[in-house]
Amino acid sequence: MAEEETKGEEEKKPKEEFKLSFDYFNETRLGILALIVGVIITIAAYSPSLPALVKGIGVMLVILWGADSVRKTARYGLGTGVPSIGVLAVGFGLVGAMTGMAIGSAVYDMIGPAGILGILIGIGLMAVIGYVSGILANGDKFINMKIPGLERGMMELAVAGTLAIILECSIIGGTWDADTILRQPVLGTVPPVAFVALMFIMAGFGMLQPLNSCLGADERRGRTLLMAIEIGGINCIILGLITVMTLGAVQGASLIVLGAIVWVVFYRAYVKACLEESYEVVGTGMIKTLGG
Amino acid sequence: MEPITLVIILVCIIIGGMFGSLGVHLLPVGGAPAAMSTATGIATGCVMLMTGSAMTGLFTASTVANFWGTNPDVFLVSLSGGVGAMLMMGFTMLIGNLIYIFGAGIVPVSGRVAVDPITKEPQTEYKTPRTDGHGVPNVAFYSGMIGGLVGGFGGALIYVVLVSQGYAGFSVETAVIVALGIFIANAIMAAYNIGGTIEGFHDPKFKERIVTGLTCAFIVSLMCGILVLIAIETGALAAGGMV
Repeated sequence: MAEEETKGEEEKKPKEEFKLSFDYFNETRLGILALIVGVIITIAAYSPSLPALVKGIGVMLVILWGADSVRKTARYGLGTGVPSIGVLAVGFGLVGAMTGMAIGSAVYDMIGPAGILGILIGIGLMAVIGYVSGILANGDKFINMKIPGLERGMMELAVAGTLAIILECSIIGGTWDADTILRQPVLGTVPPVAFVALMFIMAGFGMLQPLNSCLGADERRGRTLLMAIEIGGINCIILGLITVMTLGAVQGASLIVLGAIVWVVFYRAYVKACLEESYEVVGTGMIKTLGG
Repeated sequence: MEPITLVIILVCIIIGGMFGSLGVHLLPVGGAPAAMSTATGIATGCVMLMTGSAMTGLFTASTVANFWGTNPDVFLVSLSGGVGAMLMMGFTMLIGNLIYIFGAGIVPVSGRVAVDPITKEPQTEYKTPRTDGHGVPNVAFYSGMIGGLVGGFGGALIYVVLVSQGYAGFSVETAVIVALGIFIANAIMAAYNIGGTIEGFHDPKFKERIVTGLTCAFIVSLMCGILVLIAIETGALAAGGMV
């Protein structure tokens, strides 16, 4: 009996390799994928006919990238806690998104449809600011934090924050045209920009929370990123609830359904991964132990 | 928009960002050790303290700015933002101290100086061995109040310059978002510069690092300011519609 149990445990060991690992999408590949897809969806998000569902997928991908960058930079210890770098990302994102939307809309008014590419100027400038902040934080003559890859991480975070805020704005307003976002009332007399505090903290949470809660000696990238996708799902549900009120049930409901599916699937996957990889689980009965 | 107005806006953003950074350096930040009363300061990070107080400052500033309609008085609105942030810091430190004193049963004492530079009270005798001070002593309280005032003033200065029709003329929401974005970027660079805990202006760390912190704040605010100027020049963010 005892032999069988040990045998069973030995056989179980390879199972620790959770099937949803991000081995192929390493940090660089995931970043390139998220950047390309995020930028394409962001440019296309100018059109109100692009379904909120697609924008929701874009937001989730961008948040996943941001969480990966937070993990990359914050695992060496920042001295001020992981949340600071996630909040930095969305703080830069607010400035970058406002500038990007303003430039994009102004160029659109001047030269027509091709002008929506003007939003890339805002994103590009934000990348430069992120990189320079990274140099300031890491440089010998400045703060000298000595974190490997902080420059690249901060640049990625600034871009991810900008893309996330622009996409979230465009979900609620239907488009990221500055006139719509800032002035067109969507809910009573309230323009979409009024929800920016919510977008700020939701995008910020998606980026900072995964590492903040998973951090530790046996933190694993695949498991941490599962939580980033899960928070992306919660983000979609909340944005969907607002979209039902602003743009109507068709756009909002699809987003809520997407968010709910992603949330349930990845929450399950995350808890499963935690249960499998932990040494021992003693349940309190609060969370139903999945599959055992 | 006239170049001189743009320069004024840029200068105000830079001053606001540098004031925000200075304010963060003045706060008594204890971090995780303070949660166990083994370090002087409030038991949270720089970013949370400063963002909380700057938000309160922005609420006060936007309320006060309403009294003038479209063209608020820059100095008075900024000052009211400073007072709002200062009150928030004051309440935080007071309630924190009440919990430390009557809950944890410790004496507020500074770990970095032997004698309080303002009240001349002795500190070292009251410090528990192997700790880095406890609670929020007098000098740290003063420092925190000044920090709240300076930081709130900086945040509100960025806000009022952006919202005033005489300068950038943003809508209230846009101005708050942009001001908060610039402020948070500066506060976090300052937090990285501090690297954990600081007690206030009497802390040796303050003298060591303030120059670096202000230099970084200058560069970050300059870059964010240029970005905001580009956005202003497009005219798409103005409150009254496309110019």
